[in-house]
Amino acid sequence: MKSRNLVLVAVFILIAGITLGAQTSQKPVEIGFWSLFTGGDGAFFDAMVKEFNASQNEIVMKTDTVKFDNYYTKLTAALAAKNAPDVVVMHQDRLSNFVPNGVLLPLDDYIKKAGIDISTFEQGPISNCRFDGKLYAIPMDVHPLIMYYNTDLFAKAGIAKAPATLAELVADAQAIQEKTGAIGIAADNTTATYKAYTLTRMFMSMLKEQGYSTLNANNTKANFNNDAGAKAYQALSDMVNKYKVTPKQLDYDSSVADFKLGKAGIHFNGVWVTGSFEQQAGLNFAAVKFPALFGTNASWSGSHTFAVPVQKTFDEKKVMAVMTFINWMTNHGYLWAKAGHVPTRKTAIDTPEFKSLPHRAGYADAVKYTFASPDTPKWPQCYDAISDSLEESVALNRDAKTALSNMEQVINAILAR
Amino acid sequence: MQHRNRYVARDIAIFSAPYLIVYFAFLVFPVIYGIYLSFFDWNILSTKKFIGFKNFMEAFGDPKFLASFGHTCQFVLLSTPTIIIIGFLLALIAVRPTKSGKAAETVFFLPYILSTTVVGTLWAWLFQKNFGLFNQILAQFGFKPIGWLTDPRYAMVSIVGATIWWTAGFNMILFSAAIKQIPDEIYDSARIDGAGRLATLTKITIPLLKDTTLLVVILQLIASFKVFGQAYVMTGGGPYATTEVLVQYVYKTGFSYFRLGYASAMSILLFMVILIISGFQFILGKETK
Repeated sequence: MKSRNLVLVAVFILIAGITLGAQTSQKPVEIGFWSLFTGGDGAFFDAMVKEFNASQNEIVMKTDTVKFDNYYTKLTAALAAKNAPDVVVMHQDRLSNFVPNGVLLPLDDYIKKAGIDISTFEQGPISNCRFDGKLYAIPMDVHPLIMYYNTDLFAKAGIAKAPATLAELVADAQAIQEKTGAIGIAADNTTATYKAYTLTRMFMSMLKEQGYSTLNANNTKANFNNDAGAKAYQALSDMVNKYKVTPKQLDYDSSVADFKLGKAGIHFNGVWVTGSFEQQAGLNFAAVKFPALFGTNASWSGSHTFAVPVQKTFDEKKVMAVMTFINWMTNHGYLWAKAGHVPTRKTAIDTPEFKSLPHRAGYADAVKYTFASPDTPKWPQCYDAISDSLEESVALNRDAKTALSNMEQVINAILAR
Repeated sequence: MQHRNRYVARDIAIFSAPYLIVYFAFLVFPVIYGIYLSFFDWNILSTKKFIGFKNFMEAFGDPKFLASFGHTCQFVLLSTPTIIIIGFLLALIAVRPTKSGKAAETVFFLPYILSTTVVGTLWAWLFQKNFGLFNQILAQFGFKPIGWLTDPRYAMVSIVGATIWWTAGFNMILFSAAIKQIPDEIYDSARIDGAGRLATLTKITIPLLKDTTLLVVILQLIASFKVFGQAYVMTGGGPYATTEVLVQYVYKTGFSYFRLGYASAMSILLFMVILIISGFQFILGKETK
């Protein structure tokens, strides 16, 4: 009885083995993939992956979208267990949390092997993904902070063109408030679902316009407790406290909603909201690069990149499939641009598809003025701390000196640790 | 006989094994591992570096730790008495032997079965400044909108309010179960002696609920010290970190800034505080017996 069972089991295993073996020889390569796009851009991203899967029959991308809040937590745990998917989306400013720990694969050799021409990329975003000369990620987009304005409200207030200086920005915002009753500038300055990141991004951009980075060259100390910082802080505080063109206690979601519903003249945000603004019926707006409020142009920018986690067992076939995927995605960056993001590859920008998209032309050149966040694993904590500190000082209408020395103390303590 | 005992022991082992395995794997092991981790510098991806008590020393000099612990204490002081008293008052309504009493018990308990995220999101919408229900009502009476969650004066109170709605039902169940166990004869004799409603409440019900009250106070204190989810969902710790509670800082330190050792050390400090307070209460409760 027992031996008969054994034979049955053996036969079953044999059959299963044969059918499985037969299947794998015909089946396309399956690539596990995590992304973090749950906002307005998520739908555009999923559509792209779908199109990639449909465009060929050798590779199937199995996507899993993780809520942004938990994304890096989940990813870090998976990387520690060498259990991460074959390719992941990662913000450029997070790379320094991972690269030094050796959990990401250097990509130069595979890029060469796949025949991807790196010179077809914008060099700024590419060089931000290099560590010790090696390329650890490939940028899919840059998403700079830009300025949106409602063209109907501008016309109503009798303003002919986008503000180009700080004085014009304030004057235009005041004109909008007086003549249309709408909010002058909707830019978040209060934590709700998100921290007051726009406030921070504007502060960083204004610093950079004056030639200063937020941290010093080797990221060991704060670099904003100076005249440039004081000017930047004062401008932001004045919008809220002196000219009252930005409402107090405005959080991110409300600022987006206000602009979307035509209740705000000017809105500062990353390019990722362009797509959802376009879908809003009755909203007529323009999008331009962050104005040169202090003489020169500079705008904070993030970048979504593709990175390849180091696996328990290395499978070159999979890595090469990932390269094919990345090549396709970056070449079809004009599809991604529908969400608002700016493609990083000239082969995507120089296409009729990209050029025919409205609004994008207004800020496509913003890429030239973008700068990346400081390259230190402590940046996420500094970013949160700067946001909290700016929010507090603006809310309490602190003078620039107090505001900046408080903030400097907090940041230096984090960096000194 | 001995044979049978062996079977009983085996059955006990079999039936409790699923629970015990889960209990050890997801509670006992993580607690011990957390204590172990608190002596290390570790970012999950790096190798652990033993640093002795440095994490604990850092906490005492970390203004953010002290501030967020202060916010937790603020929440504890505001929420513990209110949730207990409201739970007790709800219990008085729920124990009435009428149909409406039964219905009330169910209704009051219902919010407790909701998850943190649901409660947080729901109340975040109700409190929303521009279109939330509460400000819509205020607008009807000609008042200006209030930044329930964005004004530092109201944000913590709003979180406490949502927490009351969410968890008072649990205390109500404990109280009403205890009230139902008080023998009717005591109330009958009190009535015969001419005791009014208030006298019955203060002289009979409340004194006889002493044990339950002690339990409720300890459970509520522990729950309040652990506050995180609803605050995180409703305010994200804002405005400017004024509602950032300790567990949120622990979470951020561990899983956003990847300092697992320091995060563990801070949670152990919180554990010590809870332990000391509950121990103190326990002794206090025994002495007055």
